[in-house]
Amino acid sequence: MDKITSVNLTFSYGGVPAIKNINLTVEPNTVMALIGPSGCGKSTFLRCINRMNDIIPNIGIDGDILIDNESIYHRDFDVTGLRRRVGMVFQKSNPFPKSIFENIAYGLRINGIKNTYEIERTVEQSLKRTALWDEVKDRLDQSALGLSGGQQQRLCIARTIAVAPEIILMDEPASALDPLSTQKIEELIQDLKQNYTIIIVTHNMQQAARVSDHTAFFYLGELIEVNRTDMIFTKPDNEMTENYITGKFG
Amino acid sequence: MITHLEQELEAVKTRIFEMSDLAMEAIARSVESLKKGDVRLAERVIQGDSELDRLEIAIDEECVRVLVTKQPAAKDLRLVTAFLKINTDLERIGDLATVVAKETIRMAGKPPVKPLVDIPRMAVLCAEMIKESFLAIAERDAARARGVIGRDREIDELNMQIYRELFSYMAENPHSISPALSLIMASKALERIGDHATNIAERAIYYIEGVDVRHGAHEGSEGE
Ligand SMILES: Nc1ncnc2c1ncn2[C@@H]1O[C@H](COP(=O)(O)OP(=O)(O)O)[C@@H](O)[C@H]1O
Ligand SMILES: [Mg+2]
Repeated sequence: MDKITSVNLTFSYGGVPAIKNINLTVEPNTVMALIGPSGCGKSTFLRCINRMNDIIPNIGIDGDILIDNESIYHRDFDVTGLRRRVGMVFQKSNPFPKSIFENIAYGLRINGIKNTYEIERTVEQSLKRTALWDEVKDRLDQSALGLSGGQQQRLCIARTIAVAPEIILMDEPASALDPLSTQKIEELIQDLKQNYTIIIVTHNMQQAARVSDHTAFFYLGELIEVNRTDMIFTKPDNEMTENYITGKFG
Repeated sequence: MITHLEQELEAVKTRIFEMSDLAMEAIARSVESLKKGDVRLAERVIQGDSELDRLEIAIDEECVRVLVTKQPAAKDLRLVTAFLKINTDLERIGDLATVVAKETIRMAGKPPVKPLVDIPRMAVLCAEMIKESFLAIAERDAARARGVIGRDREIDELNMQIYRELFSYMAENPHSISPALSLIMASKALERIGDHATNIAERAIYYIEGVDVRHGAHEGSEGE
């Protein structure tokens, strides 16, 4: 069964459509990369999946998104639960101005976990999962803001996975990082797909090729082509995709 | 930490080693069939070649996939490009083994011209060259691969010796012409296998050290 299904999804800001008629499916435990020039609607689409766009005034939405075959825009749908099931990592790492430990523990507490032992164990596991544990285990009580950019981003990923989501959305998670930190994030994404379904927006086509199983190319709010990543990058079906990935525009 | 690139390269490596085993087996069996006049064995070699063809396509696809999705650099890039070429050499070696096997079938039922000594010797040399080249790859040992280059001269000499010998048989006895020509074809196929084995050693050196030793471009080689 598909994990995420977008059905004829159209989304507009103030009456202007930003994405039009998007039909896309994401299989469980895979990485889907969204590529395309700035302003083509990648972030808008991503934010539709955890209903983060809801808070923006004057939006219009048509069509639907299904997670595990269930409509997330249905009026009885549990939106609070959705935010836990669908984690999000942003371009600019945004740790809280608190200790490394608290950055992860906070989310657990607001999700109702009170047991200190369980919190400590989950913090450790999440930090290990993001390969950060060895780097920070001796300074868990120090401010997260003292970490390097790459470490902060991995902390944000650790914070996201600590609450055991099913889906992780990443919006250009490595675009502000140096090459080595970027490589660590990319390795991490490929490891994490064993347990999660991941959608990543990236401006870096080589990165999309490296981390994803499927790639979707967006252009002017439309989904032009989606296919297996190796196919997209060796023999795309659509000429616009070909022009974009060979650097002819965008 | 083992990266995903390393895992994928390891997987391609496993496949190409598997292919080299099949190619060496095809050489040994084809010559065995020739020596014993074993048509059944010859037919098995010919059938088995489709497995090599299948692996060639699979390895090509896998290499292209790694190139596009993992964008390997330096020694990793050299590994993939070397494997793409070695892949073709192994597939050609498989084809040449079927040439030998087909001569077994052509000669079926006819009395042997002479006991086979030199052709099996050529086959052993070819298999050794391939084996050494792959050990060199496995151990990243360029000296080992260099040891292979030039050894096809021994094979070439055996080939010429076989020609001379068979020409004399043919001159003496016209009935031996047909089987003798079969042996000449087989010998020629093995001589070509030796060339491909040399190519594999050269690609191994390129992978390990990044130098191109073909056509005497650097030290050590006599060219193809
Ligand atoms: N909060 C917003 N209010 C109004 N328009 C927006 C908002 N966010 C994005 N847009 C518009 O929607 C279109 C798609 O933007 P976006 O989804 O951010 O594209 P991308 O992530 O591919 O760069 C753009 O034209 C952008 O100006
Ligand atoms: Mg964006």
